[in-house]
Amino acid sequence: MSSVIEQQNEAGDAPGEGPAGPAHAASFDMKRALRRETHSSRAAAAGLAAALVILLCLYALLEAGVRAIGQPPWLIDPQTAAERIVALPGGMPPLLLGVTGAVTAAAGLFFFLNAVLPGRRARHLLEDRHIAVVVDDEIIASALARRARLAANVTQEQVMVVVSQRQAVVNVRPTSGVPVSETAIREAVEDELRSMAPTPMPLVRINLATSGVIGA
Amino acid sequence: MNSTPRILNRILIGILGFKLLAVGILLMLLATVPAVGTWWQAWSRSVWDGANRVFEGTRFPGRTESWLWIVLALFLIVLSGLMVAWVAQQGKGRTDLLLAAEDPGGVPGDIRIGSGVAEQALKNALAERPDLAGAAVTTYQVRGQPALKIRLHPRPGVPPQVLAADTAALVAALEAVVGQRTPVLLHIAAGARTRFSRAERVR
Repeated sequence: MSSVIEQQNEAGDAPGEGPAGPAHAASFDMKRALRRETHSSRAAAAGLAAALVILLCLYALLEAGVRAIGQPPWLIDPQTAAERIVALPGGMPPLLLGVTGAVTAAAGLFFFLNAVLPGRRARHLLEDRHIAVVVDDEIIASALARRARLAANVTQEQVMVVVSQRQAVVNVRPTSGVPVSETAIREAVEDELRSMAPTPMPLVRINLATSGVIGA
Repeated sequence: MNSTPRILNRILIGILGFKLLAVGILLMLLATVPAVGTWWQAWSRSVWDGANRVFEGTRFPGRTESWLWIVLALFLIVLSGLMVAWVAQQGKGRTDLLLAAEDPGGVPGDIRIGSGVAEQALKNALAERPDLAGAAVTTYQVRGQPALKIRLHPRPGVPPQVLAADTAALVAALEAVVGQRTPVLLHIAAGARTRFSRAERVR
């Protein structure tokens, strides 16, 4: 299959523009797809929330059903539960009550923030004429680290790159006794970023460690 | 790409989170502030008495049980069902048709191309690359139209722009074969396979 593709690729440079390619893709909303790809879908939180609600429902059903057929309750029967809740600050040690409240509030805060925050993922977009490209920040960092490593002439372990939405921080620990040029690293990294052209473009910051690595 | 109902997710998670937060804060206040305790006992007592009165007013004729229990049980079952339906919506939207068109030629009949064509062709073309640790191609139905999603797991240090350009060329070739422009989303992803695989030294 792949050989067919290679041949076709050599034969025509811009397929899709000829009579064979109707402009089908025009109606496709690529902006929407890219926005969805760079933001979290909250599917995990949704599954967790649904599981929680289902468990609560099933438990309530169980207790109600047990009561309806006149059997002894499993944990607590609804009547007693309601009366205990009404009498609440009493009948329960305040520490336990406070901790239960704190745990519930923390779970609530997790779900609430999950819903309210924008949920941006650590990804950048790349420009391409034909297809939409999304790249994980980790991949960008790894590519920049390779270039920085070659420019600084150090080993893989001596370079660490952290890429965030607007910043790329390159940490280099030079080999002891071997001088490393910061401008050379900066130029190499910026050149790599220019040819990559991620959106938004991160600013490069180079950190040269003052202490070197021995015997690297 | 998939048709996960994102707005619905946000709304439902937000409602649940807000309720849990309110209950948690109420419990903490009950444990610490005595004035909240007295207010709570008075308020919840009145609510509980009201509920009891409703239950007594809705008894089956000649029996002690209220039919509200049945309504309550039905409500809980329906709620669980809705939750299951909600979870089932997550990550949906895959399709197995890449192209379905009427043939304008003289031969009667339709044309259908399965999504396996694109998926297998692209996967095989990408599988031979030494700078990739893995590749996956799936077809999604986005607003009634097929779209391809390619996920590549490159080895450490591989420049993503090179992968993007090469994949674009492959996609263009595929479009020439199929005769239709298919929207393509390429995701160059990091993962366990990327992190722990051997860096490719020679290219």
